[in-house]
Amino acid sequence: MAELLLSAEGLDKVYGTGEAATHAMRGVSFEVAEGEFAAIIGQSGSGKSTLLNMLGLLDTPTAGRVVYRGTDTATLDKRKRAELRNELIGFVFQFHYLLPEFTVFENVAMPALIAGTTAPSEIRARAFETLAMLDLDGVEDKNANQLSGGQKQRVAIARALMNRPAIVLADEPTGNLDTVNTNLVYDLFRKINKETGTAFMIVTHDRNVAQRTDRILEISDGQLVQDVRSA
Amino acid sequence: MLSLRIAWRFLRSSPVQSGLIVGGIAVGIAVQVFVGSLITSLQASLVDQTIGSAPQITIRAEKDGDPVVFSQRVQDVIAEQPRIVKRTVVPVRNATALFTDGTDSAPLNLIGGDLRQLDGIYRLTTRTEEGAASLRSTEIMVGTDFAKKFSITPGDTISLALQGGSRASFTVSGIFDLGSAAFNERQAFVAASVPQNVLGWSSTEYSSVQMQLDEPFASAEVAAAMRAKLPGVRVSEWQAENADLLVALQSQGSSSYIIQTFVLVAIALGIASTLAIAAVQKTRQIGILKAMGLSDGDAGRIFLWQAIIMGGAGSAAGVGLAYFLLFGFSFSGASFTIEPRLPFVLGSAAVGIGVALASSIIPTRRTSRLDPIEVIQSG
Repeated sequence: MAELLLSAEGLDKVYGTGEAATHAMRGVSFEVAEGEFAAIIGQSGSGKSTLLNMLGLLDTPTAGRVVYRGTDTATLDKRKRAELRNELIGFVFQFHYLLPEFTVFENVAMPALIAGTTAPSEIRARAFETLAMLDLDGVEDKNANQLSGGQKQRVAIARALMNRPAIVLADEPTGNLDTVNTNLVYDLFRKINKETGTAFMIVTHDRNVAQRTDRILEISDGQLVQDVRSA
Repeated sequence: MLSLRIAWRFLRSSPVQSGLIVGGIAVGIAVQVFVGSLITSLQASLVDQTIGSAPQITIRAEKDGDPVVFSQRVQDVIAEQPRIVKRTVVPVRNATALFTDGTDSAPLNLIGGDLRQLDGIYRLTTRTEEGAASLRSTEIMVGTDFAKKFSITPGDTISLALQGGSRASFTVSGIFDLGSAAFNERQAFVAASVPQNVLGWSSTEYSSVQMQLDEPFASAEVAAAMRAKLPGVRVSEWQAENADLLVALQSQGSSSYIIQTFVLVAIALGIASTLAIAAVQKTRQIGILKAMGLSDGDAGRIFLWQAIIMGGAGSAAGVGLAYFLLFGFSFSGASFTIEPRLPFVLGSAAVGIGVALASSIIPTRRTSRLDPIEVIQSG
């Protein structure tokens, strides 16, 4: 039995107050073990991205809490949350969000540079290793804008993996990619998951994609309506 | 220093925008240094022209026409004042005379003193245009305007009707130009013994004791201190006698400060607006950096560094541009030279950087407060 990585406990998210209040999330609870490969599915506007943002410590729940490896993140100040995000979590978004002012290498190295705890030589070695893992050898010194759409998303994935996070949270990571690149990205996710033990939670509206994961959490109207593990 | 690295990359990614603002700061600081130095030098020149060759503090007897005794007590009080330049302390005797040249005549005020001492204030030796600076007992030095009016040249002998009715002849040793037509036409220098004999005074009795200060604008303070210690004599100082000039100098100074202040405000507004625009332009990048764990402090420092870089580069370029303008001014034919004072130049550069820093407060706080979720949700 894998150890517990995170637990979401009774997550509520309410936008606005009084009669204008909108419940984007109601009492969502589940646990994620180290190394899990899971998908969060749901209709557009169901609250799956809201959930992912709360798990990623980018957003705070109105009620409930997110606990990472025994640490209740609700007790942390902004700086500690940022540090925890940098250390434990990698993000892959629908848009690659690469920094156009920096080279591919610098984009990938950025999470380690932000952490500021690793020697430059080690950062360089790890960034090159990560890029190689994603078949991105030779593009290190290119500007992010010089890459194709598929390459950009793979660089974004490399960046998410740079600090060897415990979990990668991916929000519609293939939303802007064609079928070939979509399959490539999911194969990569699976490969990294198996090789490094990094957990993945992938938000998608595509049930076919979700079925390639080991666990599907379905969100509907801000509630967890299904939590199914594959056999 | 990740925030510095990011700041530098952000600046490099918008070279035109960065260059324009650095250029704006440079022009502002150049104007600041140039105008400040110009006004300071102009004022110094005006002050020098007006009182540089004139006594700034004068001790006289209380009653006009009476002699003041250049006693040990007076000398001690003068010696106690550190602002008085000792080599400029000159006791002089004045006598009036009338010069007649055929049908034309002109009054002359004779200033009698020791040439070496007179040089301390009037700089006769260096301001002698023709002939030589010399004040032996039968010699006289007249001004250029007087000499021109009566076609007098060095070596000529002139006859004067002296105060009291006697006449005396003098050989013109030199012709001076002290920069004032009125002075050059009406004043003449003679040996100390000439008016002494005319007035019948003892060797310690003088019309006045004149002196200059190392800081002319300290004259009121020094004169007040001397008055307290020298009862029975009049101690006058140049500022009280040149109120109009002082008002003009102060007005000039005030207008200079107003110009410099508005230049600084213009710089501040320019940097602030550019940084504010840059902060908006880079919102997505800052948001994603924060999502990756960049702290609020580090994010805020990005624009602080940008301000330091642009302020530093702009100020340095501005100082260079100012010196270029000052070099150009040296060919303008103006009657004075601008001598920029290093503390003022460095201070102006520091003010440029300070203004840039102050201008970065709003974008720095905005960036610091940016919530990455705003960027992530907006896509």
